[in-house]
Order: sequence, then structure tokens, then C-alpha cells
Amino acid sequence: MSEPPTANRKLQTADTKPPSAHPIDELVSERTTWATSVRSTVASMRAWIFLFFLLVGFEIWAQLAYHTTFLFNPFNASSIAVFTVGPLLLALGQTFVVISGGIDLSVGFTMGLAAVVFSKILNLSMGVLPDPLALVVALVVALLASAVPGLINGLLIAILRVPPFIGTLGMYGVARGIAYLMAGGTTIPISNPVVSFIGNQSLTLLSIGDFRVSIPILVLVTIVLTVAMVFMLSQSRFGRHVYAIGGNRQASLRAGINVTRNTIALYILSALSAGIGGILYTARFTAGAPQAGETLLLDSIAAVVIGGASLFGGSGTITGTVIGALIIAVIQYGLVFVNVEPFWQFVAVGVVIIISVLVDQTQKQLSGARTDE
Amino acid sequence: MKRWQTKASLLAGAFLLFAGWNHPASAADKKYTIALIPGLTTDAFYITMHKGAQAAADALGVNLVFQGAPKFDPEQQVPVLNAVIGRKPDAILIAPTDKTQLVSPLKNASGSGISIITVDTFIGTGHYQTGSGDADFPLSYIASDNIAGGQIAARALAKAIGEKGKVYVSNVKPNISTTDQREQGFKEEMKKYPNITVLETQFNDDDANKAAAQFQAVYARNSDLAGVFGANLFSATGAANGVKQAGAQGKIKVVAFDAPQSIVSDIKAGNIDIAIAQHPAEIGFYGVVTAYAHLTGQSVPPLIGTGFTVIDKSNLDDPNVKKFIYSE
Amino acid sequence: MSEQPILRVQSVSKRFGGVHALENVSVDLFPGEVLALAGDNGAGKSTLIKVISGVHRPDEGKISYDGAEVTFENPQKAREQGIETIYQDLALADNLDVGANVFLGREPMKRVLGLPVLDRKKMRTEAAEALRVLDIRINRFDLPLRSMSGGQRQAVAIGRAIHWNAKVLIMDEPTAALGVPEQRKVIALIKSLKQSGVGVIFISHNLVDIFAVSDRIVVLRRGQKVGEAATQATNSDEIVRWMVGG
Repeated sequence: MSEPPTANRKLQTADTKPPSAHPIDELVSERTTWATSVRSTVASMRAWIFLFFLLVGFEIWAQLAYHTTFLFNPFNASSIAVFTVGPLLLALGQTFVVISGGIDLSVGFTMGLAAVVFSKILNLSMGVLPDPLALVVALVVALLASAVPGLINGLLIAILRVPPFIGTLGMYGVARGIAYLMAGGTTIPISNPVVSFIGNQSLTLLSIGDFRVSIPILVLVTIVLTVAMVFMLSQSRFGRHVYAIGGNRQASLRAGINVTRNTIALYILSALSAGIGGILYTARFTAGAPQAGETLLLDSIAAVVIGGASLFGGSGTITGTVIGALIIAVIQYGLVFVNVEPFWQFVAVGVVIIISVLVDQTQKQLSGARTDE
Repeated sequence: MKRWQTKASLLAGAFLLFAGWNHPASAADKKYTIALIPGLTTDAFYITMHKGAQAAADALGVNLVFQGAPKFDPEQQVPVLNAVIGRKPDAILIAPTDKTQLVSPLKNASGSGISIITVDTFIGTGHYQTGSGDADFPLSYIASDNIAGGQIAARALAKAIGEKGKVYVSNVKPNISTTDQREQGFKEEMKKYPNITVLETQFNDDDANKAAAQFQAVYARNSDLAGVFGANLFSATGAANGVKQAGAQGKIKVVAFDAPQSIVSDIKAGNIDIAIAQHPAEIGFYGVVTAYAHLTGQSVPPLIGTGFTVIDKSNLDDPNVKKFIYSE
Repeated sequence: MSEQPILRVQSVSKRFGGVHALENVSVDLFPGEVLALAGDNGAGKSTLIKVISGVHRPDEGKISYDGAEVTFENPQKAREQGIETIYQDLALADNLDVGANVFLGREPMKRVLGLPVLDRKKMRTEAAEALRVLDIRINRFDLPLRSMSGGQRQAVAIGRAIHWNAKVLIMDEPTAALGVPEQRKVIALIKSLKQSGVGVIFISHNLVDIFAVSDRIVVLRRGQKVGEAATQATNSDEIVRWMVGG
């Protein structure tokens, strides 16, 4: 059985002139021009610019229509900050997953699972242990419980090579079922004063006469976590490998990156971030609900994408995600503030998400923008 | 008030039924199977309804089957319904998750001789046995009168805020029959109070976080806000948390529709002022009793309305009130 | 040319099921030499380089590297020893910059306030140095590779191998995906690699490239070595005859 002589097709005679001896300077392409670099800067600032115009827009609207301020009202600022906490916590871990080229659809119910486990354990241990110790036990158990769906997601995706969309969709069902079963189909009230304090009080950072700067504890906790996530994504080997896996999985494998272990770690991180979201939810509403994160899932994915991450993997930043989450929160809050009819609010949020993603896509095509932290 | 009359007539019917049951007739020799299909299985409201139904089933010697989907969604409910039909129960009590999509599967069941009663929600118009339309075949619709519930909530909130000020409804999303009716009843009743202004309704997609932020946005522009009506659990807990974050507890009154344990602890903690408790156990109880009555040859009313209990801090520990708190 | 081969493949056979992918193939590679592997599709070129780079293990025969017999459990082990493979799809992360790609999987760390952080500066300067040695200039080191040309990316892949002290560089169709001007740049690059004493195994369909760059040509057909000649001592007609078995 003879093979077709395909070499002949590509055959060229060897006595054509050999390539020039000093062509290497030509390797320097002039594609990276001044205009490109301006465009890439604008592209990476896109979410910031969008948020800026959004805030200015609502300010003008509030001034014209109601002769009041939107922007310079500390109550609005703190309300929006608290509003952002839940979706942002889901979005932080989701950012890592999306950069790696995956998606985690289970986070909403992992959040619910953590909320329910936290409430259950807190209620069980309250009578038995001193209050602060009961809190610590509940925290640890809830975090461990929320890590489990992440671990299973990671094993399914990294080892069994189940597509993330399918694997985490399955886990969405499992986590949800278990959360509902544990909760007996209802929300579980808790009554630990420390927890309620964390969920609803503010810390005063600065106080000069009547001028006080205070920040809700929930927001403070979220800021600390966000900084930790920024560090992990931009400064650690793990973060760098997340980008590499999302950019080119084969290349990462060949470069000796332990893709399996990193992938499992990613999904555990996502689940833990959601778990913390569930615990803070419980602290705030003094009740754990299995459906705590159900509606937050889509907001969290939208925040990641508006923040500049590509759903195809390889790009995205935590700061982008924070801005993305703020954009969604500001729109939803602002539209109520300026008293837009409810049905138009749905439309506005959807339109903004679509525009934002479209702008992102075109910007990316136009420029070689930096895509990592 | 027609609904309350039908309820009274049913009570009489139920009484007769129990009286009759003490003298075993031929019907009592057969052990009937009645299936209860809730709107969703993971909700204290339906769980409490199941308990009421079970109590009636135990008393009547009926075999009760409880099967449902974890989400309020016709796509998930219809397969459960078909599986139940396959087991050929004598009667099905169902909380249909859609007014139209459930008509044809239920009609098939009805055609094969299974008695259909809808509980909590309805198909078609909710007016059964009228001889008109294709969705009048169920024998009876048993539910809280949600319009009346909204009216009760309005009266309770009006009283709490001294019959003046701005209020708004925190609601789930449009086009859910029950929550729409609560909002409708609330707004109608509030028209009777000239000094109360009802602001635009805010829809929160059943997300407490969003409900809280919406409260804060409304409050930020309306510092004279006096009260909120949360048309379901998360609408109410969310709004209540918004009040708490704003440090406006006591100043702004929150009325919650429904009374699971968490609402009760919110009332204790002062986050929620008033809860309007439905009587889901009654719905379940009357559902089974009505089905049994029909199966044993009695006539049954096509519409049965169950009542409400207004819960606040003052009556929370009253055993007559406590029994209406939804159990797990 | 050095007297001692850096890599020596002796009588290697590899079977997949009943198919003889390689049969009794022997090849030597000397430092600073460019060895071209020619052959039609399915001739066994890919199998041979996979055996050398540790992807497959030979069923028979042995491989000696740097004077000692070796068996590589996986490509990672081969790479650690200095046998680097540059694949057709380049094995680069397009979304990362030059430094990140050169140091992929081996990122240097430094301590800031006691915390380990990526040493970006080191990655950039050393990557620039590695490319400078190869006489490659890239003006922006902070942009992702996706914004660069195919030739520049090929250069980064080669620069990475050199930075990590590869002694044997296997290049599978390095010019296949490139336009003609870029192909020439890569050929030039291979010549400068040669200067630095690296042994290069070069697989190509393109006889022009093969004659332009190689010192020696080995031709495979149906898993067997059917011809070997010093490049100067042969011509394209002979190579084609060997390839098609005419």
C-alpha cells in the first residue's frame, strides 16, 4: 500500500536563491505603534470610563429631575457598596475560572449551601459552645462544606475532562438539592449577636467633629478579600498559570504547569469565594437561605464579562470584575433612585450588559490590549 | 365576601363528613389514594400545606402521596404530574405552576377518571364547573384569597404608620397570579386612605439583596417614606434589611406576606413589624377533605377561600397565633 | 563538527498495534549540527521525534544522550535534560507577554514585604537578553504575543528553549504556518542557533528550507531510514527519490 507522494506538491527546487543572510532585523514588526498603545490603554480603561459616565449620567439626571445629588450622597455610596457585596463575592472566584477558560454555574447554590450549613451549625453549636467559639466552628464547617462542590467540579473538569458548563451545571443541581434538604425547604433564622453585628454594622474609620467616615463591615471584609484575590491573580505563580491555562492549555502542559492541580484549585477557590458570600449573606439577613445566590449567578458572570474577561478564557482582571459588579449595582440602584418605571429597569440592565460586551469585543479586535493584571 | 361563605359551607360539609365516617359505609371500605402536587417542594408554605393534608388523610384513612418539583416551573411540574397520573390515584390536588400549560395534562388526567382539585394557584380563570371554557373541569379551587390578603396587609400597614405617609410594594416579578393579587388588593385598599401615597412597585426577582438595595434607593430619594409591603418572603426580608442598614428601624414599618420561622425571628428582632400569615395547612386539609367528599359521592363547592392571621410582636406567643407560623 | 554525538538513536523500533511506525532506525546528532528529517506523511518522522522527546518509549533499541543511555518517562523529563521540542502550534500562551512565555512554568519569584511575588522585571530583562543572544529584537515586551507576527512568536519559542539551555532542539515544521518572508527569518534563526552549539533536528516538507539550513539529511519512508546524506553531497532529486521510493 503506497502513500500518495504529498511531498511533491510542496516541492520546490533547491537551487533557488537562499534566504538573505541578515534578515533578522525584519523580525521587529511595527504593529505595536503609538496609536495601538493609546487604543490598548483606552480598552483596558473601558470599564472605568463606562462607570464614570454612568455616575455622571445619574448625577445629572438627579439634579435636573429632582434637584438632588446622586453622587455626593454617602447613603447612596454605602447602599451601593453593600448591594455589590453578594454578586462580587461570586464574581471574584468566577473571574479565576473564566480566565482559565471555564465557567462555574454552581456558585449560586454553593453560596446557598454555605449559608444553610453556616446557619445550621451555628444554631446547633450555640447552646453547647460559647458564642465566639460556636461562630468559629460554624465558619470552618461552612467553608469546608462549600469547598466540596468546588473539589468535585475540579475533579470532574480536570481529571474526567467533563466540559465545565456541564460539570458545574450538574453540581448546581446537587448543591441546590442538598442545601434544600438540609434546610428542610425553608430559611433558617440565626440569633448570634456577633454575626448580626458583622452583617449590619459599620466601622468608623475617621471622625473629625461632625465629619465621619464609616464603612459597613461587610464591605470591609469584601475589600480585604478582593485585595487578596488581586494579589493571587497578579502576583502569584498560581495566578500566572491560570492565565496560561486559559490562553493555551497545551502550552501550559508542555511548559510543565500542573494543569490538573491548578484546575482543581481554581474551582475550589471559586466555591470558597461563593461560600464566603453565603456566610456574609447569612450574617446580613440573620437567616440562611438555600436560594441565597440563585439570582446572583448571572449578575456575577455579567460582572466578570463587563469587567473585561473573555468567556473564551485567557483574559480578565479582578479590578475589572469589581468595576463590572459596581456598574451593575449602580445601574440597578440608580434607576430606582431616579424613579424609572420598573419594567424599563429590566430593559436598561440588559442593554447595558450587551453594549458593554459588544464594546469589549470590538476593542479587543482593534488592539493588542494587555489582558492580564 | 362570597369566598367566606363558601368556606363556611365547606366547614359544615366537613363536619357532616366526619359524622358520616363514624358509620362505615361501603365507600369507606375502599382505601382512596390522593396525590398532592405542590408548586414546589422546597418551600415552607407547601410543606405546611402537606402537613395539613396529611392530618386530613390520617383522619379519613386516605393514602396521601406528596410529589413535586424543586422549582416553581411548569417544565418541571408536568413530568412529575404525568408520573403521578401513571400511578392512577383517585384524586389529584395540585398547585398548577402555569394557568395555561397545565390545562391539557390535567384534562387528560380528568378524562381518565381522576378527580382534579387545584390548591393555592389555579388553571384558566379559577372559576370551575361553569360549563364554559376548557379549564373548568377541576372540581374545586382552594386557596387563600390573595386580594383579601393584600387588603389586610394594607389595613395593618396603614394603622401602623398612623394612616399617612409614603409606602411602596416590594414584589417578586410581574405575572405571578398570587403576588399580583396581593399587590392589587394592597393598592385598592390604600385608596381609602387619602393621606397615604403608594409609590412605584419595585420588582426584585426574589433576591433579598436586590430588594434591600431597592429599598435604600427609594428611601434615599423619599426621606419621608413610612412603610413597605413585602409581597413575599424575600421581598420582605430584603426590604427589612434595607431599613436596618439605613438605621431606620421603628421609623419605617415593614409588613411581610407569609410567616415562615425566619420572618418570625425578624419580628422578634424588630426587623419586620407585621406578618400576614396564610393558612396553608387549612388549604391542604380542605383539599383532602374536599377530594374525599367528592369520591364518596358528596357535592363540593367550586371555590374555597381560606383565611389569614395578622402576626406582630404583641401576639407572637399566643398559641392561637403561633399555630399559623409555617413549620419545617 | 564535534566528534562525540550529543544524541544517538540506535536501532529503535516502535509499533502501534500491528503497524510498524518505526523499524530499526538509527540517527546521530552532533552539537552545532542541523539534521533535517525528511519524509512523506506517515513516514515516521513524528514518531521518531516523539520517541526522542519522551512522548513515546521505543519498543526496541536505545537512545543515548550526552554519552549516556536514557529513558525519558515523559516530555518534562526530556526537557529538564535539555531536549526541547518546538511544535507546529508553538506551544505559547498568546495572551501573555514575552517574559511570561519564556518563563512559563518556571516563573522567578522575589519577596516584597515578606510575600512571594512574581519577579516581572527579571522575566523581562532575561527574556530580552535571551532574544538578544539570538539577534532577535522585539520592541514591546509588555504586550501579549497575539499582537506579534508569526516569526516573532517562533523566535520567542526558540528563545525560550535557548534560555533554558536546550542542547537538542527539535523543530516540527517550524516554517509551515508562516509566509515566505517569515520563513526566511526562521531559517536565519536556525543558523544562528547552530552558531551557539545547539544540535537541531529540523522536520520540514519544504526541500528549499531543508537545503538552505541543514548539514545532513535523513530520509524516512514507512518507518524505515531509507537514505542519509551530507547536504552538500546530495540534491533534491535524490532526496525525493528516497522519499517516494522511486
